[in-house]
Amino acid sequence: MTAYLNQVRIIVWRDLTVELRSRERIAAMGGFAVLVAVLIYYAIDLTIVRPRDVAAGLIWMTILFSGMLGFGRAFAMDLEQDQLQGILLSPISRGAFYLGKTIANFALLTAVEALVFTVFGGFFNLSYGGTAWLIVAVVVATAGVAGLGTLLGAIAVHTRPSDSILPLLAFPLLIPLVIHAVMATGRLMAGRPPAEVGGNLRMLAAFAILFLAAGTVLFRYVVEE
Amino acid sequence: MQLTGLRRTGVLLAIPGIALVLLLHWQVFFWVPTEVTMGVIQRIYYVHVPSAWVAFMAFGIVAACSAAYLWLGDERLDMAAVSAAEGGVLFTTIVLLTGPLWARTAWGTWWTWEPRLTSTLLLWFIYVGYLLLRGATDSPQRGKRFAAVLGILGILDIPLIHLSVTWFRSLHPQAVVMRPEGPQADPSMVITLLTGLAAFTLLFFAIMTYRYALERLTVERSTAFAGTPAPSVAGGGA
Amino acid sequence: MTLVDVPVAPAVPTVTPAPALDARELVKDFGPLRAVAGISFAMRPGELLAVFGPNGAGKTTLLRMLAGALKPTSGEVFLGSERLEPGAAEWRRSIGVLSHQTFLNPQLTAAENLRFYGQLFGLRDLATRIPERLERVGLLDRAEMRVRHLSRGMQQRLSLARTLLHDPQVILLDEPYAGLDPHAAALLNRALAALRDGERTILLITHNLAEGFDVADRLAIQVNGRFVFQGSRAGLEGGEFPRFYARVVEGASR
Repeated sequence: MTAYLNQVRIIVWRDLTVELRSRERIAAMGGFAVLVAVLIYYAIDLTIVRPRDVAAGLIWMTILFSGMLGFGRAFAMDLEQDQLQGILLSPISRGAFYLGKTIANFALLTAVEALVFTVFGGFFNLSYGGTAWLIVAVVVATAGVAGLGTLLGAIAVHTRPSDSILPLLAFPLLIPLVIHAVMATGRLMAGRPPAEVGGNLRMLAAFAILFLAAGTVLFRYVVEE
Repeated sequence: MQLTGLRRTGVLLAIPGIALVLLLHWQVFFWVPTEVTMGVIQRIYYVHVPSAWVAFMAFGIVAACSAAYLWLGDERLDMAAVSAAEGGVLFTTIVLLTGPLWARTAWGTWWTWEPRLTSTLLLWFIYVGYLLLRGATDSPQRGKRFAAVLGILGILDIPLIHLSVTWFRSLHPQAVVMRPEGPQADPSMVITLLTGLAAFTLLFFAIMTYRYALERLTVERSTAFAGTPAPSVAGGGA
Repeated sequence: MTLVDVPVAPAVPTVTPAPALDARELVKDFGPLRAVAGISFAMRPGELLAVFGPNGAGKTTLLRMLAGALKPTSGEVFLGSERLEPGAAEWRRSIGVLSHQTFLNPQLTAAENLRFYGQLFGLRDLATRIPERLERVGLLDRAEMRVRHLSRGMQQRLSLARTLLHDPQVILLDEPYAGLDPHAAALLNRALAALRDGERTILLITHNLAEGFDVADRLAIQVNGRFVFQGSRAGLEGGEFPRFYARVVEGASR
C-alpha cells in the first residue's frame, strides 16, 4: 500500500514539476480561459441579460473547454522520447500511474478554475456567496472531470485526430455531471442555502467515484498491449 | 461458428422478424384502437418503444462483449461488440427520429430537453464515438481496446445520465402498459406492443448476425491479402 | 559454399548448462497479423546475442515481449529457472531496456530523471546509487543539468545509467546507436563494453550490421517473425557478414 501511494506521489511530483518548469499547459489553458471570458463578455448583451443569472453555466463551459485542452496534452508530453514506454516498463501499478496523472490534472484544472472564477468575477461583477460549499461543489465536480478526462486523454493521444476526438468522447459522458455542477454552483452563488443543492452534490460525488474507479480499473487496458 | 452456419442463423432470425414486422404493420394501422387522449399519432409508440428497448439491449451486449474482450482477448468478442454497437446506433437513431414526430403533435414541439430524449441523444453520441474511435487509431488492435473501454464506460454512465436528466420534471408519458399493478390499456394495445418488441428483437439479432459474419469475412480477406505467413508454413524447404 | 547451407540451421535453442534467458516458442499475433511466429533461443549468462533483420521482421515486437511490455500470444520466457508471468511487475524488475528513445524527460535534471525511475522501481538507496551510476557513464558533473541541455550522446549515456539503475540481470538494447554520431557511438560502445562482466546477459536488436557484428558473441537473423539463422560468429569474417546476411534474408523472404 505504501509502495502504491509512493508510486502515485512520484508521478504527481514529476508531472507538476515538469509543468511548473515548462508552463506549457497552464499557459494554454489559462490564456484560453481568459480569452473565452472576453468573448463571452461581448457575446451577451448586458442590457438584456443579467450576467449572474447565466454565470454558472458560462463558467463551467469555460472550465470544461480549457480542461479538454490540458488533458489532451497530459499524455502527449509522455510520448516525447517514449517516456510512456519507459514508465510502463517499470514495475509501477497501472492504477497508481492513472491516479498520479489524474491528481496532477486535477491540480492543474483547479488552478485554472481559480483564474476563471476570478476573471468572471471581475468582468461581470459577480459576488460569490456560500464560499465554503461552493468550493466543495467545484472540487468534487473537478475530481470527476479530471478522472474521466485523464482516462480519455490517454486514449485520445493515440488516435490520429487526437485533439478533436477528446471532447467528442468526453462531452456526452460529462454533460450530466455539468448539469449538477451548474445547478450547485449557480444556486450557491446566488446565496441559496446549501441544503438546496445537497442532491446535486451527491450526484457530483457519484460521478467522481464512478469515473475514478472506472479509470483505475480500465486504464491498464488503455496503455498496455 | 462457421460462416455458412452464421448465414443460416441470420436467415432463421430474419424470416420470423420480417413476418412479425408485417404483422405489426397490420396491427398498428388496422387493428389496434386509437388512443383517446393522444389520438392517432400515438400509434408511433409501437415502433418507438421497441426500438428503445432493442437499443438498450444492444448497448448491454456491447458492454458485456467489451468487458469479456478485454479479459480474454478473443477477437470474436470484439466482432460481436462492434456488430451490436452498430445495431444499437441504428435503433437509437430510429428512437430519435420517431420521438420528435410524436412530440410535434403531442407537445407541439419537435425537440424538447426532456429527460429521456436527452439521455437517448447522449447515448447516441457515446456509441457513435465508440464507432469513430475504432477507426481513429493507427493500430487496429489499439482501436479495439479503446472502443471496449468506452463501451464499458458508456453502460456505467447510463444510470447516472438518466438520474441526472430526470432531475428536471419529466414531460414523458409514464409507462402505462407495463405498470406493476397490471395493464390498464386495451389488451390489443399490449399485444401490438409485444409484437413490436418481438419483431425488433429478432430483427436486431438478424442484423447483428449478418454484421458479425461480414466482420469475419473482412478479417479473413485482409489476412489473405496481407500475406502474413500462416503458422503452418515452415520457414525453409529443407 | 558452406555459408549458403547455414540459413536452414534449425532454430533449436543451444543447450547450455543454465540459460540466463530462455525464450520458448514465442508467438505474437496482432489480430490476424502474426508478427512473431515462434521464436526460441537460450542465452548463457554474460552472453551477447545480436538480432539482425529487415524492417517489419518483428524485431521490436520480440524485444517488447522479452521486456514484459507486450503479452505473448503463446510461448514462455524463463529467467534462470524462473518462469516469467506475463504482465507481472517482477518481470519488468529483472530487465533493463535501452532504446534509441531515451525515456528521459527534458525538463528534469539528469539526477531527477534517475530519481524518478529509481522510485518507480522502488529502490531505496538512491542517494548513493544515482551518483555511482552517473559516474559510470561519465556524467557525474552534469547531474544537476536539465536533460534538454545535454547533447544527444550524453542523453543516450544517461539513458544507459537509467537502464542500469535497478541492476537488471538482462539488458535489452533496441537500436541504441540510432541518431548517434560516430564519436558518441564509440563512447556508448565503451560504456557497453564495461558491462560485459560475464554475468549480465545482453540482447541487441539492430539493423546496423557492422556495429552489431563487432560486439556480438552470437548472431541471429530474423525474417517474417522467425529466426532463419542462429549461430555463433565463429567462421565468419566481419567483412563477409553483409553478403551472408543479404543471402539469408533473400533466401528466407522468397
